[in-house]
Amino acid sequence: MSIVDDRPAAGSDQPEEPTNRPDVTYRLREWLSRPYVRPILTMFVVFCLLVIPIGWLVVFFMNMSGAPASDIMSEIEKTILVFTIVSAPLMAITLTIIIYSLVGWGRVTGDEPPMQESPAIRSNAIGTYLWIGATSLLAAFLVIWGLVELATITASSYGSVSANQQPNAVKPIDVNVTGQQWLWSFEYPDQGKISNEVLVVPINTPIYFNVTSVDVIHSFWVVELGIKIDANPGAITNTGVTPNKLGNFNIRCAELCGMHHAYMETQIQVVTQDQFDSWVREMGGKRTV
Amino acid sequence: MTAVIHEQQAVPQPKQHGKPGGFLRHTNIVTGVLLGVILAVATYVIGGLLVPWGTEDSNFAQVGQEALIAATYAAWVIGFMIGIGAFAGPIRWWLGHDLTHADAEYMAGKDQGKWKYWKYTTDHKVVGIQYLVMAMALLGFGGLLAMLIRTELGVTWAEVFDPNFYNSIIGTHGIVMVIAMIIVVAGPLGNFIMPLMIGARDMAFPRLNALSFWLLFAAVPPLASNLLLGGIRDGWTVYQPLGTQAPVGMIGYQICIITFAFSTGIAGVNLITTIVTMRARGMTWNRVPIFVIGILAAAIMGLVWFPMYQYSQVLALSDFAFQSSFFIPQNGGSVWLYENLFWLLGHPEVYVIVIPATAALLELMVVFLRKPLFSYKIAVAGFAGVVGISSLVWVHHMYMTGWSPAAGYPFMLSTELISIPFGFLVLVMLGTIWRGKVWTRLPMMCVYAMIWNKIIGGITGVYLSDVPVDQYMHGSMFVVAHFHFMLMGAGLFGAMGAIAYWFPKMTGRMLNERIGSIGFWLSFFAFQLTFGSMFVAGLQGQPRRVLQFDNAFNVSNWLSTIGAYLIGVGMLIFLYAIITSWRSGQVAPSNPWGAKTLEWQTATPVPLENFPVLPVVTSDPYDYGVPDPYLAIEKKLSDENQDVTAGAR
Amino acid sequence: MFLTGNAGVRLSDGAKRGLLTVLTVFIGVLVVAGSVLFLGKNQQEPAVLAATVIGTASTPQGELPHATVELSIYPNPSSSVPGPVPVGSRIGDPRSANAPSGWPFYWPSTTLQLPANSLITMTVHQYDGSTTVWNNYFAKVHGTVDGTAIYNGKAQKEIEPDNVAHTFTIHQYAEVTQDGFFVSVPMLAVPSNAKNEANGYPKPQDITFSFITGDPGEYVWNCEDPCGYGYVNFGGVMSERGWMSGTVTVV
Repeated sequence: MSIVDDRPAAGSDQPEEPTNRPDVTYRLREWLSRPYVRPILTMFVVFCLLVIPIGWLVVFFMNMSGAPASDIMSEIEKTILVFTIVSAPLMAITLTIIIYSLVGWGRVTGDEPPMQESPAIRSNAIGTYLWIGATSLLAAFLVIWGLVELATITASSYGSVSANQQPNAVKPIDVNVTGQQWLWSFEYPDQGKISNEVLVVPINTPIYFNVTSVDVIHSFWVVELGIKIDANPGAITNTGVTPNKLGNFNIRCAELCGMHHAYMETQIQVVTQDQFDSWVREMGGKRTV
Repeated sequence: MTAVIHEQQAVPQPKQHGKPGGFLRHTNIVTGVLLGVILAVATYVIGGLLVPWGTEDSNFAQVGQEALIAATYAAWVIGFMIGIGAFAGPIRWWLGHDLTHADAEYMAGKDQGKWKYWKYTTDHKVVGIQYLVMAMALLGFGGLLAMLIRTELGVTWAEVFDPNFYNSIIGTHGIVMVIAMIIVVAGPLGNFIMPLMIGARDMAFPRLNALSFWLLFAAVPPLASNLLLGGIRDGWTVYQPLGTQAPVGMIGYQICIITFAFSTGIAGVNLITTIVTMRARGMTWNRVPIFVIGILAAAIMGLVWFPMYQYSQVLALSDFAFQSSFFIPQNGGSVWLYENLFWLLGHPEVYVIVIPATAALLELMVVFLRKPLFSYKIAVAGFAGVVGISSLVWVHHMYMTGWSPAAGYPFMLSTELISIPFGFLVLVMLGTIWRGKVWTRLPMMCVYAMIWNKIIGGITGVYLSDVPVDQYMHGSMFVVAHFHFMLMGAGLFGAMGAIAYWFPKMTGRMLNERIGSIGFWLSFFAFQLTFGSMFVAGLQGQPRRVLQFDNAFNVSNWLSTIGAYLIGVGMLIFLYAIITSWRSGQVAPSNPWGAKTLEWQTATPVPLENFPVLPVVTSDPYDYGVPDPYLAIEKKLSDENQDVTAGAR
Repeated sequence: MFLTGNAGVRLSDGAKRGLLTVLTVFIGVLVVAGSVLFLGKNQQEPAVLAATVIGTASTPQGELPHATVELSIYPNPSSSVPGPVPVGSRIGDPRSANAPSGWPFYWPSTTLQLPANSLITMTVHQYDGSTTVWNNYFAKVHGTVDGTAIYNGKAQKEIEPDNVAHTFTIHQYAEVTQDGFFVSVPMLAVPSNAKNEANGYPKPQDITFSFITGDPGEYVWNCEDPCGYGYVNFGGVMSERGWMSGTVTVV
């Protein structure tokens, strides 16, 4: 084992260092000099860097069908990415230690119990406090981020302000969503009570959903817009979103509701305001002012 | 450890009535099954005569049938318990005949050879083996269902099974696996090993021990028979009111859970009492092996919360068979009530599954690293923290129900908080591994697999605990992959390691490590493929519990199915290793691992009374290791630094 | 014999174990494969009923092939119409045990096959009485060529919610890449005071409607009017292929 000892050797002709300067980093430098520490730190850093491709892949898979199509979905993706990054050190240190332990501290094979034993470390204050501190900080960060995020998204969904806290310039549209075994139907109470099995909405307009079920529990999941709320019999639940991307996206049922649960899919079509108005007229409804 | 012999006072024995064992000489599993079937059939026939059939309204006939099936299943359970001899004790006491020592020895299976495993035997070692076989049988059945499920999901161009049947098999797979995982460590190891580990002769309530096993046995046929009666057509959570649309197979599920909850409650009482009151002399709380602490933690959680699950099924059965309206909103009920009752157990339950496996691996790591457990106190704090906070997180399964949007905030907080004591356990594992020389036998290698799976499960759990993220991921395959990583990846693979470790003590033979390792590692890597692809499918947007889905998810599902088949192959290989080693493996010495806990200090096979003389404990069992060489260097540097500092003044 | 003995090849312990491992795996594979085949779907659903092509017709989308399908809805089986036959050996089939005599069903089959890109005209003879539909959306006609269906000769866009006996509703979107397909037609109920005729059923209501199919795909259909048992009467037949639900394959 090498010991870091950089005091001038006794008897050398170098001028003596002042001996009244305490070396507070001696413990850290000694620890760094141990043969297993640098490989472990290197592995740790390398594994931390792996989070970059993993984080990219995670977002890639979520976006394969056209997401994000709303501010809420963008916030969700940002949260997932951030959580992935901050969890990386934890994953990395675990992976590092379990891999290194198979190669770096000696291995014993064979049928008989090993003769040689390992260092009897029953505790390590620094390591313990570091770990508890780091995990607590991580948990605190996740909690605070999550609470703030939840408040932001809730305001965007239910409140009268948009995601960036501006009062809505556009009048929101109410949609009554009815889930039943095994179909969704949508009613627009303010557009002359027209109803349809496909959800058609104009872009950049807040849509508020009043969701219920006539039979069992379903779950109204507008996949690429990132909203989900259960459709419960005997109750009306609410959510809302402002789509910010044109196109056709998926609505799926996310709670097992019987035989054709897998087939309880429909579309949300985000169209321009003009296309929406002409669709409403086609369906026999009337445009609200 | 020194042995101390105590003077035994002679206890006046009650009068011996008949041969030792009395009625129990004639009862066994065959009489149990026979009587259960006879009573069930009799109830069905006689009940059928009592219910007014032949009315015009076909709906009424259906109602009568549901209540009748419920009575039939209940009759099966009662008949089986009578036939296996569970009531022999209370009836004898009622008749004034106390049990003598000879009776107790008979009931413990003395001099009965292999036959004792088929009877109402109270010896904890016998009950442990019975639980092991039952767990393996349930895992096999659940595994077969898993292969069917993955076949359906792999055949993306057609429906392989009828959608109703598919819904039934996913639900049955779920509940069978949950039951199997609850019992797989606490059953065999909590019963067989734990009393040995604390230096006791048996558990606190040996007759209740037998009762808890045979109640479990009685609970399984109703559950399995659901597939023959139309299926449960719902997930393992059996959400109401969907459950009330199911055919009569649903009653099998409900009766199974009601019975199983009794079994678990009784087992929990037994485990807790044994650990608290029957530790050997000198085994203070600071000297209790960590495995025992884990079993205690799991037993406490199970005992407190299982009644919730039981009540939820009693009320659901009432809604189903008697048209009550606990969960029927049209008649004043609430669907959210069911969800709350269910998840109040549903969350602690996953810790009941993971904690024993974690504790077992903490225990065995020490032996294979020849190092003391890193910070025993932190491990205990971790278990305590998990037990405490686990009661406060259940609503995170209900973020999206719309029941209480405001509840998302406090429950997100509590769910994140529970990751801290959980992190203590990971700290102890990593700290024990740190700088240890690894003895690379199969039980130790399972520890690595378990840690890897647990960290992935834990981090994906962090995603799901966040309400906005859950808004995307709830009800998708991401959740399915997450809980499989925790319950199967950490729970089952951990349990396999624990069983491999204690196999020599329980069966008297060494597990064939070559075959066992091949099976284990094939399963492990296939597991990564299966559930890694499932994470991808979830991220892409595949909901759960669907048999057909968008083409976008095809590739993920093909990979998952291939992985699942390979898991099946791996598990079959591991199963073969267990069976062949059990029958004709190398005979094991009494302490093949050189371990210091008490169960290894007694002979193999373990004698009926466990220890010839009860041991006295003088230290914790983690007295391994040599002094740390770096400590000397640190001290030298510290002294030198003191000199430097002192010289400065 | 070949594992031990003087005449044959003597296998080492390791080889023997290896062979038995492979055998165990093989048995497991057989059990799984056997279960899949035995429990597979083909046993569960009635035989395919294909639409009959009768020529071409002009539609708003141009000249398309024209095919017809004829179905009946009976309120219960009888000697003249036995109804779907439950196969006794099927696991998971409640109908094989005690199938109640009061289950309505579509006849002769719920497994429909329709030609792609064609005009399909369906005629349904409806013999059953009414139950109230839970969601009035399904008392309206959706997805047909002109938005109406012909009830006993009269074209209507919707019927009274109280007079709905069943619906024929084809689901949209089994796969997102398939063409969307949504047709829902409520089936008019027989009046409650109708008398049974010689065949044991009252005079039927006749409903005819036409819709246009898109590209080939697999879809499912079911009745959306609660006519089963259990909670909100959506159990029982409502959740059974062969009775009140089935598949539509557009080929």
